Amino acid sequence: MSTTEYGDIWHLEEHGKLRIGSSGISWKALEGGKTVNVPASELKWAEWTRVARQFQLRIGLKDTWRREAFDGFTRQDQDSVGGLIKQHFDLNMEVKELSWRGWNWGATDFRGQDLVFLIGNKPAFEIPLPSVANSNIAGKTEVSLEFIQPDMPKKSAKNAPDELMELRMYIPGTLPKDNDNEDDA
Amino acid sequence: GEADGRGKEWKRFISYKGEGALPSEVTEPKIYIDKKALTVVLPIHGFAVPFHINAIKNASKNDEAEYVYLRINFQTPGQLTGKKEDTPFEDPDATFIRSLTYRSLNRTRFDNLFAAIQQLKKDVNKREQQKKEMAD
Repeated sequence: MSTTEYGDIWHLEEHGKLRIGSSGISWKALEGGKTVNVPASELKWAEWTRVARQFQLRIGLKDTWRREAFDGFTRQDQDSVGGLIKQHFDLNMEVKELSWRGWNWGATDFRGQDLVFLIGNKPAFEIPLPSVANSNIAGKTEVSLEFIQPDMPKKSAKNAPDELMELRMYIPGTLPKDNDNEDDA
Repeated sequence: GEADGRGKEWKRFISYKGEGALPSEVTEPKIYIDKKALTVVLPIHGFAVPFHINAIKNASKNDEAEYVYLRINFQTPGQLTGKKEDTPFEDPDATFIRSLTYRSLNRTRFDNLFAAIQQLKKDVNKREQQKKEMAD
């Protein structure tokens, strides 16, 4: 049976190659031997999204919150990946639109184990909850999330990644609404 | 009261109209400054997230051991600035990103990013000021 291979595909911070075939989707790291396998019978949905490493194929599994994301596809891969998903698993790969407005305000929601930040009802980004090392509530309206850094071999300073350490959010909805506006009434 | 900018007119701004407008140079999870769109693209868990310079308040930089830290602070209501808050907001009751902090081993890169963000903010403020003076 035929499988199609895509090189240069990332799973989290590891580089590898991805295969799509009638038995399912599998990814293998170029170094270290880590693999991710999703058998065809477990596949429930597939999405295509523009992310930092160009395009992402995100797949969801049946009867579980587990989902897997693979980054590094090019724009030109969209038709072939979508075609293979249809051919092998009879699923329509949905193109997921994000918000590109550039705003820092919106709403939060949960999708499985991902915290989604929505701007105008479209996701701007998602935070996998297992990546949160610590969270704090400062005052009544500020929440901070500190993130676990992936345990990767240290690169030279020149090639060092930009690591997100902390995100702080202001959530005014938690404060009684007409409390802070009475001063100059 | 105008403690959160209520009652003032909020001026709409937007980074990109759609995915196709995001610069094709964005191909990895790294901070990218798009001067043309007045936007800083920040990597958040694999996503490339644009933030318009109008949404950014300022940036700060710190050295700690071998790392350099870059923190981007955003405009949000309810900040104790010491002076009367008069920035208008589209939706003061929304959830706001208040700050994002990055670290790197690449000092030169973060020095340059920090300077570029400050310069972009300065240029935009200057332009706004000139517009205001022209209108008066």
